[in-house]
Amino acid sequence: MSVVQNTGEKKNWYLPGIFTGLGITMKHLFYNLLNRKKMITLDYPEQKYEYSPRFKGNHILTVKKDGSLRCTACMLCATNCPAECIKITAAEHEDPSVEKYPISYEIDMLRCVFCGFCEEACPVDAIRLGPEWQTPGLSGTNFIYDIQKLAYRPQLKGGILTHVDDEERHKAGI
Amino acid sequence: MPKCTINGKEVEVKEGSTIMEAYYQTGEAIAHYCYHPGLSVAGVCRLCICEIEGNPRPQIACNTVVTEGMKINNKSEKIKDGVKWVLDFHLINHPLDCPICDQAGECGLQDQYMEFGKYNPEMSERKVKKHKVVDLGPRVVLDSERCILCSRCTRFTEEVTKTNELGLFNRGDRTEIGVVEGKQLDNNYSMNTVDICPVGALTSKDFRFRQRVWYLKDADTICTGCSTGCNTKVYFNKEGIFRIKPRYNPDVNGHWMTDTGRDAYKFVNREARLLRAQKHTGSGWTELAPGQAAKDVSADLKSAAGDSLALVLTAQYTLEEYEAIIPAFINEFKTKKIYFWINNKESFDDFDGLLARGDKNPNTKGLLRVMEKHGLSGSWSDLEAGLNSGAIKTVVVAGPENQFVFPDMNEKIKLLSKAKKLVWMQSGKNEALNALSGDVTLIPMKSYIEKEGTYVNFKGLEQKVKRVTTVVSEALTLTEATMLMAGRNLTIPTTKELFVESNRREDEVMLEHRKKNEFVFRRGSL
Repeated sequence: MSVVQNTGEKKNWYLPGIFTGLGITMKHLFYNLLNRKKMITLDYPEQKYEYSPRFKGNHILTVKKDGSLRCTACMLCATNCPAECIKITAAEHEDPSVEKYPISYEIDMLRCVFCGFCEEACPVDAIRLGPEWQTPGLSGTNFIYDIQKLAYRPQLKGGILTHVDDEERHKAGI
Repeated sequence: MPKCTINGKEVEVKEGSTIMEAYYQTGEAIAHYCYHPGLSVAGVCRLCICEIEGNPRPQIACNTVVTEGMKINNKSEKIKDGVKWVLDFHLINHPLDCPICDQAGECGLQDQYMEFGKYNPEMSERKVKKHKVVDLGPRVVLDSERCILCSRCTRFTEEVTKTNELGLFNRGDRTEIGVVEGKQLDNNYSMNTVDICPVGALTSKDFRFRQRVWYLKDADTICTGCSTGCNTKVYFNKEGIFRIKPRYNPDVNGHWMTDTGRDAYKFVNREARLLRAQKHTGSGWTELAPGQAAKDVSADLKSAAGDSLALVLTAQYTLEEYEAIIPAFINEFKTKKIYFWINNKESFDDFDGLLARGDKNPNTKGLLRVMEKHGLSGSWSDLEAGLNSGAIKTVVVAGPENQFVFPDMNEKIKLLSKAKKLVWMQSGKNEALNALSGDVTLIPMKSYIEKEGTYVNFKGLEQKVKRVTTVVSEALTLTEATMLMAGRNLTIPTTKELFVESNRREDEVMLEHRKKNEFVFRRGSL
């Protein structure tokens, strides 16, 4: 990497820059002092910022009408994941119309980069990135989310219903 | 010998061969489902259409015999359009199962659709629903909805195994593959139907849902399940080995392999392996590094050298390893008491008429050859007598890799543990070995997947095998163990004279492919 060094007369001309910067700071200081209601600072724990509904936060696994997981364990999310944070173990379901389902679905939240590729890859709307983003934890193991946490955590109130319905698809002859 | 022109290339083919065979000969690509070089021609999928000059309509390549001066082409727009429509008809009743289908990633329908299809479906009718997850037998599951009725599997049971379990039932779009009432697809070659199924209709129960195929890499090796030595491909990733498929070799196995041979990965995976060397001393078992264990044994063996030392060999190791261990025992330990442990004497010469042989060792011929070369002729009864009388005090055993084919394992362990000092070298775990007391050392060995070497099959054909992957990195080969036991240091093996090219697949994804962002989906980890 080449470093450009100011040499010669030019390097003494730093004062205009400093005064411009100070000027901007002062402008905002006096503006905020005079219009305190328009100030954009948040008192964070009490006040919370509302992100757009498209915000990509913690993952949600959607459920079917009967409350079971929508996921078919096709592993497309795990394949598409650039951080390789999704780990799925598939198993054979007793119901031949379901056939395949995940017995374990784990996302390592500390590895996840919240890119949303899993959501895009999913053919059955089984995984979504939800609005939650405040997820403190005491140790690293708290951040490996399993099915219980991804689909049935208390904030989801019993699970989010998917909009892909097998029965409807079956009736439509697909 | 008629000459024909295929896509502009002139080629001379055998008298009476079909256009498809000519395509195979030139290496030109041609789409097909029902044609299989190991089976008879059915001509039902109609996908292999090609244009013949002077013929107004496209013809199927698999059932048209080449005549002198034929000009054949399958690259024209007309053919591409034709294949597209044939494919559309195949997919009329095909379910959207790819996410849960085991074949996804190596599916004929997916491949051809990416090449010829890419159309918007124009069928407004409902799909015909058929049976899903039909249990055909102990190893194969059928999904009739996915089936495109190419009849490869039925032809296989008809022509190759001649057991006729499978058949086509009903008519028209309700046709289904199935087994005859009261029968099961349970012959020893049933998993070949899974391999030849171009779609995901037949899937293997053993492999089902365990791994998506695009996470697996494959490499060539041979099967060590019996003395036939079928050429195989193993599919593996960092978690272990997941399945074995046959590889074409006209001299050994043709296109097929046995179902028992497909289990030959189970004793290679980490769960079944001895990971560290174990030593039983007075109080109990202690673990140590395999190399250290072999070095520790060295002194004992040297002091025991002479007639009180015996070596027991199984025919599950490579020729190179026998060439290392047998001379070492003769020259350095001064013993000629080297015995061949035959696992199933009664069924040794059995043969089922196709591939499976009663001799369940991959290298019996090789071991006998080396033993003969060094003039060894000790019989098992000598060893038994020696052990019972106490003449043999120290025994070194190169135990079996595939313990499933050694029904006499426990019996032999009991017999050999009569020796004062027992050194047992083996790749897999065994409870009976761990139950032993006395002076016992267990040294983990590398399996056939992890080493290079030569196996000699039943008819004396030498087959060289390349290393595929490493499962237990600390384990030793028999050659390495011999060197350490003889008190020498390990040398870095020079494999140059053995093999020149590495075990790299032809279509391995290179950096250029990734830069060009080519379709790299099915090739190993992304």
